[in-house]
Amino acid sequence: MSEAIERFFESLPARAPEILRGLVSGTLQIDLSVTGGVTEHWLVMMRPGAVMVSRQRGPADAIWYSSADLFERMVRGQAQGIAAVLRNESTFSGNVVLFLVFRRFFPDPPGTRDPREVARQQAGRPA
Amino acid sequence: MNDLVSILDGNTFLVTDQRGDVEPSFDFPTGLFSFDTRFLSTWLLTLDGERLHPLSIDDARSYRTRFFLAPGEPTHYLDAKVSVIRSRAIGGSFNEELTVLNHSGEQVEFRLRLDIGADFADLFEVKSPRQKKGRATAMVNGDELRLIYRREAFHRETVITTSEPADIDVAGMTFHVRVDRHGEWTTRLHVATVVYGARGEDIRASLRYGGSRDMAAIEAEQSELIERAPKLGCDCEPLATAYRQSLDDLAALRYESIALGVRLLAAGLPWFMTLFGRDSMFTSLQVLPFLPELVPPTLQILAGLQGHRVDDFRDEEPGKILHELRYGESAGFEEQPHSPYYGSADATPLFVILLDEYERWTGDSQLVLLLESAARAALGWIDTYGDLLGTGYIWFQTRNPQTGLQNQCWKDSPDSISFSDGRLPGFPRATCELQGYAYDAKMRGARLARKFWNDPEYADRLEREAAQLKERFNRDFWIPEKEYFALALDGDGRQVDALSSNIGHLLWSGIVDETRAGRIVDHLLGPRLFSGWGVRTLADDQGRYNPIGYHVGTVWPFDNSIIAWGLHRYGYREEAGRICDAMLAASRYFNGRLPEAFAGYERSLTDFPVRYPTASSPQAWSTGTPLLLLRVMLGLEPQGEHLVIDPAVPEGMGRIELLDIPGRWGTVDALGRSRTPLDGRRP
Repeated sequence: MSEAIERFFESLPARAPEILRGLVSGTLQIDLSVTGGVTEHWLVMMRPGAVMVSRQRGPADAIWYSSADLFERMVRGQAQGIAAVLRNESTFSGNVVLFLVFRRFFPDPPGTRDPREVARQQAGRPA
Repeated sequence: MNDLVSILDGNTFLVTDQRGDVEPSFDFPTGLFSFDTRFLSTWLLTLDGERLHPLSIDDARSYRTRFFLAPGEPTHYLDAKVSVIRSRAIGGSFNEELTVLNHSGEQVEFRLRLDIGADFADLFEVKSPRQKKGRATAMVNGDELRLIYRREAFHRETVITTSEPADIDVAGMTFHVRVDRHGEWTTRLHVATVVYGARGEDIRASLRYGGSRDMAAIEAEQSELIERAPKLGCDCEPLATAYRQSLDDLAALRYESIALGVRLLAAGLPWFMTLFGRDSMFTSLQVLPFLPELVPPTLQILAGLQGHRVDDFRDEEPGKILHELRYGESAGFEEQPHSPYYGSADATPLFVILLDEYERWTGDSQLVLLLESAARAALGWIDTYGDLLGTGYIWFQTRNPQTGLQNQCWKDSPDSISFSDGRLPGFPRATCELQGYAYDAKMRGARLARKFWNDPEYADRLEREAAQLKERFNRDFWIPEKEYFALALDGDGRQVDALSSNIGHLLWSGIVDETRAGRIVDHLLGPRLFSGWGVRTLADDQGRYNPIGYHVGTVWPFDNSIIAWGLHRYGYREEAGRICDAMLAASRYFNGRLPEAFAGYERSLTDFPVRYPTASSPQAWSTGTPLLLLRVMLGLEPQGEHLVIDPAVPEGMGRIELLDIPGRWGTVDALGRSRTPLDGRRP
């Protein structure tokens, strides 16, 4: 399992109060296939303002399946989950709202600048 | 488009020629489409090697068409010994019943050939064709023809089966049939569109409405929706026709979102059969007094897909409401940004406006609580990422110059925002109506914060900000020598001074100083903007005016409905009535189905509203227009637990009676009548 993915899941509880602001609760299972036909499981229990992460399988309200490689790109901000589902590189089953909430944990694409800073610089205004 | 025939059920639709045939085309999307993919690009029938000619077409139903055909050219009609009926329906899949009738006194053998092909074009490739990156194959398998497209894990199939035996090859089916004297022969063709998921299953199989539905199910569902809507009785025939047509089309435009498993309204046939933030919210605002239950799924999916990060490719920012969601190959492989795309600067304030308006009608405080964080994030966006330059206005400038939208307002074509002399301003741009929406969103957000979120401080702050915005706007956008509001500010803060219909939206938002409303009304109903059929998008003396220019001179029914609502808000009831009257008069020329837009020619010049060449129809927010016009004419406005009914029916329209208007009051009836000398003479 990649270090980036491990670190990502470790960071979730601390980030939950900021990110899980809605009223959604539920459990999302994330199944990641790694080389050699092995599948790694993560279980993310979300409720307003808090999250618990474990390495169990289910029970879950929704399941995300993809390669660990794709998930690592998502964790780095390089890939986006909905496009991945549309091109069938990943699959989703169960309550979609849970994934829509969970995707808020993924970061900006690398190297992204604040658009306000860019626009104000271009317009010659103070940022 | 006028000589094409369309049937649709949600976001599956079929566009054919008058014979029921589909031939490969790239300029206009003919064929069978589902979820933004073309599953049939060839569907062409010949009888003994000859093309058929249409005798008549029955397309009274949105999901069903029947073609009556005979071989050869029209001059041969009278000799026709044979005719063909193609009876077809759409409901997730596509079914066609093909019947050959032998009118002669002896048995005849026919060779019936159906050419079949699928290019699996993404809707965006239909607009600008290019080489497919994946591989298409065809397979014959017993009584079925299977057309397959694969690109990496992306996998679509069209599966065609026939009830009667045929010689099937990879390019179609041939039937050798023998029909008795005065007899007939029929086969049933079934076309399934399959969208495979990673586990080799059709991902729509698990959707409640996603699979094939038979005609009875579609009919039942559509009539149930129409049954629920308030009943209209009126003297004005065009109004009755338009109302009925609107309800039919709203029923037909509903589709099931793959993402949420809820039913949403597609924006318009053929280009916009998907979820648009702006279109779905304006349509929701229009239909709210009639079919409030259509609104929560829209708000919920828009909240679920609210922007959460800064993504330049998608023009996404935290708190922003989406512009457009697509399901096709180009979105999946990120050749287009619609997964979803966020390039719209008005959807975010509109989200707050719709949520508030919905509660005012329905009293559904649960939804207001459920969506509190989404609404706060939307309000937050207005003052942060929305205010690109930090000047207290909403600005837009795409960060995706290749596939993003330049103009992120409802007039989103490239030349829609211009100076009076036709020059195009630089970026970023702040169009005027965006500031109106921001003002309204803050005022409504304040009401929600005070009444439901238990946050009076936030409410005070929003009201303060709204008041400051109104003051600032009336200073910076008002052009004293022209006496109207500028269409926009450019990146240098200069007024983009074209006279446009956008000033009508400002009335709807309430951002216009009372003292200036009269001048705005004069412009809207004056000869430069008002064509006689409606308010033009751009005044006819402006540099870029073109009566058949998409956003620079045409008349948009949706635009006019919002303007009429704005006139109502400021008390200009007679003027609002003139717009309602003009729109309904125009609708007669479209059999009650107002198109996306029509030409801006002067009414006295053409005597009828001239069609805009590629207008979508049905288009959701045009479909919603007659409903909002009814609201305006009857003066319907929720106040506390009650519905205020204050009719101002235009001269000559007679009686309007709307029964069982749903809302927090249960249901109430509204009655209006025009009171003029002309009406006095009515029986």
